Amino acid sequence: MEPSTALGFALPIGLGIAALGSGLGLGKAVSAAMEAMGRQPEAAAKIQTAMVIGAAFIEALTIYAFVSVFVLQGKI
Amino acid sequence: MHERPETHENRAPCAGSRRARRQRPACALLLLCLALLAVVWIGPAVLLPGAHGERAATGSQPASANPPAHATREAHASQSAPANPGAHPTQEPHASQPAPGTPGKPAPSHAGHAAAGHAADEHGAHEAHPELPNLIGVLYRAVAGEEGAAPGWLVALHHFEDLFFALLAAGLLILIVRLAIRRMNPRDPVAPQGRLQTAVELLFGGFRDFVLGILGPEGARYVPFLGTLFLYIWCMNLFGLVPLMKSPTAVLNTTGALAVCVFGYVQWTGMRRLGPLGYLRHLAGDPQDLVGWILVPLMLPLHIISEFAKPVSLALRLFGNILGEDVLLGVFAGLGVAALAFSGLPAGLPLHLPFILLALLMSTVQALVFTLLSTIYIMQVLPHDASHASEEVGPQAAAEEGTPAA
Repeated sequence: MEPSTALGFALPIGLGIAALGSGLGLGKAVSAAMEAMGRQPEAAAKIQTAMVIGAAFIEALTIYAFVSVFVLQGKI
Repeated sequence: MHERPETHENRAPCAGSRRARRQRPACALLLLCLALLAVVWIGPAVLLPGAHGERAATGSQPASANPPAHATREAHASQSAPANPGAHPTQEPHASQPAPGTPGKPAPSHAGHAAAGHAADEHGAHEAHPELPNLIGVLYRAVAGEEGAAPGWLVALHHFEDLFFALLAAGLLILIVRLAIRRMNPRDPVAPQGRLQTAVELLFGGFRDFVLGILGPEGARYVPFLGTLFLYIWCMNLFGLVPLMKSPTAVLNTTGALAVCVFGYVQWTGMRRLGPLGYLRHLAGDPQDLVGWILVPLMLPLHIISEFAKPVSLALRLFGNILGEDVLLGVFAGLGVAALAFSGLPAGLPLHLPFILLALLMSTVQALVFTLLSTIYIMQVLPHDASHASEEVGPQAAAEEGTPAA
């Protein structure tokens, strides 16, 4: 198998796994935020701020995978 | 009949009032600009010799000299559809429109994509990412052409275009704040303020409350650095959404520099506040008891590595997000141009519009996350009794002022 073929397989699969992980993590975070907002609607603004910040952290890991795909995709 | 006293506050702005009359042309102008941006890209295709070059090439191996396959695909795809209808099934999204249309408004050109691929691998520093072209790139390609014969200053400006836009962002922020405080008089704090000054103070006050909510009242000395960081990064991120401009944060150099600045500031703050011995104890994990001291050979390398990993993650997070949104915009704009490729017009559908809205949100969020993380790193190196006191004071201050606790 040539390196470019291997990369052609690995990069989309890797990115898909990263997206899966971030989807699960973000789903947990956002669902917890929704629950908290439902319990205490007057704190919704603070909870939303914290949720967005947490989501940015979780998404950063997917972004690392995205960046590495971009770095490598020229070699396909 | 209710009689309201005819005071200034009670008078609703009717259609003829001064404020409404002032706002109407501004709204109309804004809508017109948005409509123009939304309906059509008209590229100065005739200005770009790159487009002519690809049109002239018959298409089998026009760009065989370009090593990156990405640029080759871009060059292949730039064959105009009317010229070579069957030669290349343009599956690539970066079709260019080298039709000799008159350059309408100075919007970014999508022939620039193909030329971007060409120019990109001539100067091997850039990777061939499809991005929306910016003013310096367009100028450079218009003047230089295939052989790269551009005046020295233009070559240098093109090479340093990220730096140029970064300095432009800084200059813009300085200009805005200088305009805002022009009429401020420290001896007369209740003097009437301009609207810009009020807006700037609103922003500053909100951010200051945010930072003090994390660092406590003694965090006021760090607010200038963190506020500048936030505004600068936000401004740079938003530059990528403006036509003919580019986000400097979409290159790792800028974000790396910002992360190094934060790293240096945090370590310096730690050393200054904790003292040299306290700083080493902090790096060793603040051992309190025997177990803590036994674990020092483990904790010390771990902490040192994590101290270096923090700026790396900061840089990569910001870089990846902003580059990702810029490339997303470029790819979808290219798709939009390819969608109208059959007509031969130098125009395209604005398929990237929803992603501009996403990019607006993500630019703000990423600037906020960078700043928030820097704030937390500063909080971690502050003396622990002070940061514990700030944690006690924090909720109280939050209850009093209603600050958003992060």
